[in-house]
Amino acid sequence: MPLFETIGLGGEKTAVVIDIGTSYTKLGFAGECGPRAIIPSEVKRQQTGKVVRLEDYYNTNQDELFAVLVEFLHQMYFRYLLINPKDRRVLIAESVLVPTNFRDTLAKVLFRHFEVPSVMFAPSHMLTLLTLGINTALVMDVGYADTLVLPIYEGVAVLGAWQSLPLGGRAIHKRLESLLLAESTVATEGGTELPLSSIVGTVKEEILEDIKVRTCFVCSMERSRKVQDAAMAQLGLIDPSQAGQPPTPPPSVEFPLDGAKILKINGSIRESATEVLFEQDNELQSVATLILDAIIKSPIDTRKELAENLVVTGGTALLPGFLHRLMQELNSLRQSPKYSSKLAFGSFKIHTPPAQPNCVPWLGGAIFAATEALASHSFTKDIQYEGPHIPDWCSLNNKDFFTEGVVEKTPVSLPTLRKTLEAIKSSTGLGAKGGKESGKESGKGSAATTVKLETSGESTT
Amino acid sequence: MESIQRVGAAGMLENHRVLYKCKDYRLPLCELYFCRHCLKLRSKDCVSHEVDSHYCPNCMENMPSAEAKLKKNRCANCFDCPSCKHTLSTRATSVLVPSADDPNKAVAKKAYYLACAFCRWTSRDIGLKDQSVASGGWEEQENPNAQRISELVEYYKQVAQKEKSDRERKKYAKSRIRLLGMSGKYASQSARRHASLTSMQNLRISAPDADMSLLKEEEQKLVKITPNMAVEEVEGLPEDIYTTPINLAHKGSAQASTGTVTSIAQRLSQPDEQPTLTNKLYPIHKHLLVKRSLRCKECEHNLSKPEFNPASIKFKIQLVALHYVPELRILSIPNLYHLKESVVLLSLINPLEEMTNVTLLGCEEGDPEDIDSTAKIVLPSQELILSARDDAAEYDEGDNVMDFKDDPEVVIFRKANKISFVVKVTPMKAVGDVKIAFKMKYNYKNITTPLGSKEEKETPMVVLEHHVDVNLGQVIPS
Ligand SMILES: Nc1ncnc2c1ncn2[C@@H]1O[C@H](COP(=O)(O)OP(=O)(O)OP(=O)(O)O)[C@@H](O)[C@H]1O
Ligand SMILES: [Mg+2]
Ligand SMILES: [Zn+2]
Ligand SMILES: [Zn+2]
Ligand SMILES: [Zn+2]
Repeated sequence: MPLFETIGLGGEKTAVVIDIGTSYTKLGFAGECGPRAIIPSEVKRQQTGKVVRLEDYYNTNQDELFAVLVEFLHQMYFRYLLINPKDRRVLIAESVLVPTNFRDTLAKVLFRHFEVPSVMFAPSHMLTLLTLGINTALVMDVGYADTLVLPIYEGVAVLGAWQSLPLGGRAIHKRLESLLLAESTVATEGGTELPLSSIVGTVKEEILEDIKVRTCFVCSMERSRKVQDAAMAQLGLIDPSQAGQPPTPPPSVEFPLDGAKILKINGSIRESATEVLFEQDNELQSVATLILDAIIKSPIDTRKELAENLVVTGGTALLPGFLHRLMQELNSLRQSPKYSSKLAFGSFKIHTPPAQPNCVPWLGGAIFAATEALASHSFTKDIQYEGPHIPDWCSLNNKDFFTEGVVEKTPVSLPTLRKTLEAIKSSTGLGAKGGKESGKESGKGSAATTVKLETSGESTT
Repeated sequence: MESIQRVGAAGMLENHRVLYKCKDYRLPLCELYFCRHCLKLRSKDCVSHEVDSHYCPNCMENMPSAEAKLKKNRCANCFDCPSCKHTLSTRATSVLVPSADDPNKAVAKKAYYLACAFCRWTSRDIGLKDQSVASGGWEEQENPNAQRISELVEYYKQVAQKEKSDRERKKYAKSRIRLLGMSGKYASQSARRHASLTSMQNLRISAPDADMSLLKEEEQKLVKITPNMAVEEVEGLPEDIYTTPINLAHKGSAQASTGTVTSIAQRLSQPDEQPTLTNKLYPIHKHLLVKRSLRCKECEHNLSKPEFNPASIKFKIQLVALHYVPELRILSIPNLYHLKESVVLLSLINPLEEMTNVTLLGCEEGDPEDIDSTAKIVLPSQELILSARDDAAEYDEGDNVMDFKDDPEVVIFRKANKISFVVKVTPMKAVGDVKIAFKMKYNYKNITTPLGSKEEKETPMVVLEHHVDVNLGQVIPS
């Protein structure tokens, strides 16, 4: 059992590694093979006894967020890790899209309240590479809130090429809810069967997640196309003779609800809920096009290597059939006129990291935090009080890096990138109202909004 | 950080009507501690929490912290049900096994297995072999990637070490240090060449463009890591997924032996495997709990230290504010009308074993601590004298030995260490809660003067002051 009691010199205690996702937080210790616990990113407030989600506080005032984070991390330290915060460095695996307000407040809570000796914020896409022993990869994280693609070439993130869509667990849950409300029935004790929508107007997210996890999967591309064609034929959009026979839907499932109620889930829902990730009716974008677009936006001489080093992380990749379908879509899309001329390389290849997809960024953090590099790349209390914001990690320790012309001019800095994204998100209300750069509303009630970046220095298109 | 308002207008807890200010927080006295060394109120947010002792909530055994660390904070003997999280119990049965003397004869032998009394899950469901001893012996799950991960850790440790020595060597030369470097577009050739080990390019297996021959030499000494290989083919779904019914029902159903589909909570309780079928759920070693002690962040003295015995709910040290600070309570509130003066009855209780004189003072104009009072108040103008707490005195009814010369207009009632008195309140806002704020000053005998300090024979009396907020409830518009 590799248990790294101490790291580096001087008998320093093993660092704490945390990945606070929008839906689940992974927490544990440096040098270990997996997180000690995966817990929902929520906390029961002491004052009110209500369970609140951290995400709901991302953009509230800092005091509220501060109080919520104090309670959340308190339970992490004293319920799960059972250690004294003061003794250990902390590494936070974070999404590059994390709101500034959140990371600033998180740092404040760690330093001021828990008095931790140091904190390092490390981008989860970069950490992922450490789990593979490689330094070039196109990393896609498909979690709960978003899918985010970021190419990393020779250890350097190709920031101008990142791609993101609000596709992930949440989008699937939303789609599943609307499908259930439209099609499913509930059998009550007395044997009567009523449409679900006549009983409830919404379905609790825990139930949706449970249904998704236990019954849904991602079908093959051929099958998906057949289902689509059949639906189109039914709507009279294509000639039924062309459409062919629709595949027999998978067996339906009886899902026990509370009480003696049984929710009848039609088999077709089991395979169609996850289609939200792959259908391209939202500005012709899907999780697969994100990868292709990211490759196209990367310098031409890096594309082949990136395509041959795909890595997919995040819990949504655990859906049965997801990776297979993703590869099918990639191989099919690259033949399409939009991409074929620009993607003249061999083939797509995908890595399998040595951990469950939702734990990969955490594992990268655990590997990094077991090395001496943690100390030299962390913030200490003093740095944190220097400015109003925690400096972005990319400017850490290399203040003159960008200015010395080592890199061809830096058109996008992370803070700018974040601000742009936050602006887009708030202007669209996450898909409610189309902003200048946002996608059009999705016709099927998914929250899919295109997030494209317009950066000042450089056109990304 | 601005102060946090803890008082909600509606549905306010009764003990949240009177709040004492402590740093950034305003809390009821019963939620506060009193540091006898700093002589200040402390909330649970301005003390540091520390792990005092580890114990198993099931067998109630203490575990030394070094052992707890080694066992990953889990009890060796107790298990939780992987299916429903209840505690598993050990069941004993007799099984017949061939006798050692005569293989043709069968003898009865005790066998133990784990079972959940709540959901009926048993260790036999997943094919775990029964044990011949009542506790322990269960095989542990190993992470199949443990070997690879520890290679990665070793590799990157070296890389980091090398980077560190490089950095030190090149201190004066222009070095560009970058970890997990990010650039706007991508690093140019020269960047790739110059970036030091922390940037990921140096995590490469070979470094063909290392400038210095010295570097090259060292590069060779590095333990190599085999980079992970990417593949073109990903396994598709089994064809039968489109036709096989799935079973969500619990035990007893036809498919229980092959396992039913796990819920997300069941999966996440085994983070390394996240099994999708219940027949891959292994018993989970019970997670330990800790007893915490609290320390004043300023002087590091303990404010609370629990007894070691896990079953005890007592404390070795417990400096709760209620034992050190006069407690203010509301006795009665009349209807409060906007702009009309009314009489509110408050009471004070002295928890100290010394008499104390309490003075209440209104907040001055612009007092930053007075954040939202909404009424004018007239406080008792003279000191309020509180008798010492005397647990024995509670039983001697009525003999007021001392004459306190109370103003009967102000002090309404006095008994033992408790008095009640009058404040006059004029609500100044037509809507919302009537809130008053004032300072409470009182004498306190500092009992923590270090032993053996010669100069002071008597413990010194000091005057302490706390800011108090009182919410008197809704105003009635007039
Ligand atoms: N073992 C599993 N099987 C099936 N689905 C899973 C599993 N684990 C997680 N998920 C799903 O994956 C999603 C969470 O993934 P993940 O933990 O990567 O997201 P996150 O980090 O919380 O979110 P984000 O990265 O978007 O902030 C949830 O929607 C959850 O339902
Ligand atoms: Mg995540
Ligand atoms: Zn135990
Ligand atoms: Zn059980
Ligand atoms: Zn103190």
